[in-house]
Amino acid sequence: MSELLKPRVAIFKTSGINCDAETAYAFDLAGGSAEIVMGEDLRTGEKKLSDFQILTFPGGFSYGDDLGSGTVAALELDTYLGNQIERFKEKGLILGVCNGFQILTRSGLLPMGTLGERGATLDRNDNGKFVSRRVNLSVEPNNCVFLKDLSSTGPYEFQVAHGEGKLVMPPDIRKQVEVNGQVVFRYVNAEGLPTQEYPANPNGSEGAIAGICDPTGRILGLMPHPERSVSRSQYPNSRRLPESFVPEGLAIFQNMIEFARVGV
Amino acid sequence: MAICEIAVTRKEGLPDPRGNDVSLEANRVLGIRTDVTTATVYRVEGLDEEQAKLLAEKALIDPVTEEGSIGGNMAYAVAFVGDDFVHIDRNSKKTLEVAYKPEVTDPISETIGRAAGDLHLPLEAARVSTKYTFGSNITVQQASEIANRVLVNPTVQETVKKKPETLVIKGERGPVETISLADKTDRELDEISTQRKLHLNTEEMRVAQKEFERLGREATDVELEILGARWSEHCVHKTFNARVMTPNGEKRPLFGRIKDTSRQYFKDLVATAFEDNSGGMNFYDGTVVLVKWETHNSPSALDPFGGAATGSGGVFRDIMGTGKGAKVILSTDAFAVAPPGMDQKNLPPASIPPDNMLRGLVAGVRSYGNPMGIPTSNGSVHFHPDFAAKPTVLVGAYGITPEQYAQKGHPEVGDRVVAIGGRTGRDGIHGATVSSGARTEKTATADAAHVQIGNPIEEKKMADAILEARDKGLIRALTDCGAAGFSSAVGEMGEEIGVRVDISKAPLKYEGLSPWEIWISESQERMVLAIDPEQMEEFGAVCRRHGVEVTDLGEFDGNKKLTVTYEDEVVADLEYEFLLNGLPQRAMGAEFMREVFPEPEIEMPTDWVKTLKEVMSHGNVCSKQPIVEQYDTTVQGTNALAPFGGVNLDAPNDAVVIRPILDKPYGLVVSHGLNPILTRVDPERGAKWAATEAVSNLVAVGGDFREMVLCGNYVSPVPDRQYMGSLDIQVDSICAFQNALEVPVVSGKDSLSSTYTWPDGRKTHVPPVVSISTMGRIPDVEKTATSDFKREDSTIVMVGKGDKGMAGSTYFDTLGIVGNEVPDVDLEILPRVFDAIHSGIVSGEVKAAHDISEGGVIGAISEMCFGGGMGVELDIDIEEREDFFLFNETAGTFIVEVESSKKAAELFGSVPFKVLGRTTNGTEIKVTNKAKELFTADINELKEAWQAPMKALFH
Repeated sequence: MSELLKPRVAIFKTSGINCDAETAYAFDLAGGSAEIVMGEDLRTGEKKLSDFQILTFPGGFSYGDDLGSGTVAALELDTYLGNQIERFKEKGLILGVCNGFQILTRSGLLPMGTLGERGATLDRNDNGKFVSRRVNLSVEPNNCVFLKDLSSTGPYEFQVAHGEGKLVMPPDIRKQVEVNGQVVFRYVNAEGLPTQEYPANPNGSEGAIAGICDPTGRILGLMPHPERSVSRSQYPNSRRLPESFVPEGLAIFQNMIEFARVGV
Repeated sequence: MAICEIAVTRKEGLPDPRGNDVSLEANRVLGIRTDVTTATVYRVEGLDEEQAKLLAEKALIDPVTEEGSIGGNMAYAVAFVGDDFVHIDRNSKKTLEVAYKPEVTDPISETIGRAAGDLHLPLEAARVSTKYTFGSNITVQQASEIANRVLVNPTVQETVKKKPETLVIKGERGPVETISLADKTDRELDEISTQRKLHLNTEEMRVAQKEFERLGREATDVELEILGARWSEHCVHKTFNARVMTPNGEKRPLFGRIKDTSRQYFKDLVATAFEDNSGGMNFYDGTVVLVKWETHNSPSALDPFGGAATGSGGVFRDIMGTGKGAKVILSTDAFAVAPPGMDQKNLPPASIPPDNMLRGLVAGVRSYGNPMGIPTSNGSVHFHPDFAAKPTVLVGAYGITPEQYAQKGHPEVGDRVVAIGGRTGRDGIHGATVSSGARTEKTATADAAHVQIGNPIEEKKMADAILEARDKGLIRALTDCGAAGFSSAVGEMGEEIGVRVDISKAPLKYEGLSPWEIWISESQERMVLAIDPEQMEEFGAVCRRHGVEVTDLGEFDGNKKLTVTYEDEVVADLEYEFLLNGLPQRAMGAEFMREVFPEPEIEMPTDWVKTLKEVMSHGNVCSKQPIVEQYDTTVQGTNALAPFGGVNLDAPNDAVVIRPILDKPYGLVVSHGLNPILTRVDPERGAKWAATEAVSNLVAVGGDFREMVLCGNYVSPVPDRQYMGSLDIQVDSICAFQNALEVPVVSGKDSLSSTYTWPDGRKTHVPPVVSISTMGRIPDVEKTATSDFKREDSTIVMVGKGDKGMAGSTYFDTLGIVGNEVPDVDLEILPRVFDAIHSGIVSGEVKAAHDISEGGVIGAISEMCFGGGMGVELDIDIEEREDFFLFNETAGTFIVEVESSKKAAELFGSVPFKVLGRTTNGTEIKVTNKAKELFTADINELKEAWQAPMKALFH
């Protein structure tokens, strides 16, 4: 694909973000053109979100997650970057992975798309610890504009690496999220069924929810790291996989790029 | 202004994982059963109540799960037990509040400042503490016990006794003192050294005395601190550079032997060695990979969490500060600690209990590597009661940099001396000198100032800024502020041409630091660079984008002197000629006297399964997965062979492989080996075992020993005649190993003060640790193997030459025996064994491989069964003792899975090998000898025993 036709992906980086390089690599691998954009450059106007089709909040420990994961970065979105984000989300696609999901949730963009109004939180894992391991995810029938067609596939094996990944929502919002097809991924057990059991569900997330989208389906957030499942060698059991195996994380990025290319 | 207090609690009915963990810990270590709930208490100064409320709602309280209250909600009754304050609330529940001591800078306070800034609030200062509320069923005394044993490390934390009146730390800067050394007697010189914690001996003080006599003036406090740090064991390795006087005559210094041996094998493999902050090997596509391991024993002995965290932070900066800057791509650790279950009576007074020690170390490493986004892998833990005296805490880091930036930079005359990163505080004063001294129960309080807490986010920002500046060609030279802070960093960078700095310019965490304190503070997350004055503006812009503070401290001035001023006052002015060459070379006596351990009669196991479970659940063998799972092993997306594999991802691999360049198949293979007890019994064989184990681990996953460099770290209790003798033997043994394999060492470190002096004068020496780590390169990460058995009905083969020695084995330890004959490694055969395994893996004929180490032959096979989720049938077919065969731990031997006996003969015909049996679709390990059944063990039961110890400790 010509460079000009490749959708441009902004990888948001601020103090403590640390999964920017591999997330940019995953988007490039999927046919996008990714650029790491410093929050500081968006503040000063050096860079503009309107130059991009996809905005991604990668994993990390933004501002040390000192006041709860993602809280201070979310405050940044709400205060300095509020106008830019509001304009961007009308046309663009937004992805948040791990700390990025936490930022989106703490900012209110997930689950309800309401910047500044929090509708859910990503709470401490039930066992109180940072957990780094592989998990299996089902792709639920969902209304995410770029992942709708994936629901017949899976389970997907992704890595989780977080201390605060338990999605908690007030009952009314939880109901809306379930009814609106906003649940995109759930943690599943060996039988492929959603589970509350550790370690298949690494954090005790309600309804085993691992990832959700907003009501428009343009904003997706998930705790597991699809960018750590884009090449065969990233699978700890790659030596047991068939030759024909296609790394599962790629599909997420490819679908997003494809939708941005055709759909915008 | 008044302080507002905001208490944030969990909403009714929601779980409180933090409280729950304390509850489990209180029950595990004290047998006290109580519910525990927690609250976070923020105190903010400079805000009125409305403003505090806005800050709380926007940044401190999560409306979904938490609720907050503003204003005092202290309980009405206060009880005092020892140093702890326990409050009793209206429902008779006991509460207490734990905080860092005021002088410890907590990164959370800075983050609150950031949030307040975004909200345009005039915050002056903030502090955070955690409030614990226990059930009404426990007594005030019990609450205090929980505080002491589970919650508070008194070195850095305290229970909050009353509301502070202000959070702003103020202080008066002290004047620069001058000290006359003229006409002082040796005793008086010693007194000066002791009083000022310089840790300089009489001879060294005399050298200083002579220099100031020559200069015709008194010394300043800053100058004495410069000498104390500059000439400390930590900085100049007096022992490793000393002449070695053995009963058979003088031998060359240890360091010289290591360098000379290694230089023969640099070839085109080594990019940089022995001159920079880490050692480097040429990788692929014009890149260089780097390795450095460090010890952080002294700080960790006082505060395992802070010590391990800042140890990691420090070794990362060693990588970041190599050449003209490098990226850290892997973090690792190896701990030698006392067993968690050890009787309190046998612990030194005022020492950290072993379980708290290990939990703290793990939390420390986790708290630094994870936020920095550096995968942490390939660690190990070793247990021995004598490490209660002082733990051995090794932290390692690996990096990558383009080859044009890999060589150490040299400042030029006129370059600016630039400090970047965190601010300077009083933390870590005298770390360099204290870590070079012995430990007593008084060390616990007297040297508390040298404990620091880390701020990984500060370091992450700095790391990113350095890489951007490097790629723009803005860095002439750089180094990290480690031991002795600016004194070492600026002092070392200036040594070729001379340097002049004004330390009044250094940004401080709080007021009141005297010049000498600024100069030697070991505040973390700081680095010093040499920047061309023409490029200062661009360099400053790069740092600002990353939120990194930049300070111009002075100039590399070409005067061949180290000149330090505070504003216009000269506070130190010393010639490099004296600093570098003034210290006389030491001559150290070395004579190792072997300790002879009892050799009781050993009966053959009657209940084999029980014996096997004892070995598998031994600390040195048991699964460390509950530790590894707390480390992010996969960040950066580079992992290509994980620490655990197999059907349930719970079988340990021998090494890790990462793919540091994401779009290339090149692999970096990393492993290490150490066994303190073997080195105590037999320094020659013990050191050889460690090196062989390190390389075996690398080879077992598919590494090639010809494409590899080593890093050697030595921890010795004290450089006396006995232990100097041991070091002398260890170093010779490693050199012999290097000669046999023709491999270079490129980096390393020594730490020679792991001795504890009891109040009654008795001394405990920790077992000497020689830790060898590897860094290898392979062209394709796909051509590697994991340890889990892959197929049913495969042939299981033991490859390599086992030795009959059993001393120091896990099996012996479970019987309470040390023994005297450490297993020997045959260096003639070893390279061929390594080659055979390597070729078998590259060709794909070896389906699974595991090196034999702690736990022995049967331990290795058990782990391979856990991974494969399958059983084995073995017939060991031997004449000698079955227990000695099955539990033998000779390094350089392997268990591999191949298709058939025929294949085994093809692959291993040129080296010792033995077919042991076949994999089965069952769940049992069945062992016979010459068809006579020895035992049958269920792998699930074994696995449970093997997993239990660390699961219990890290619940």
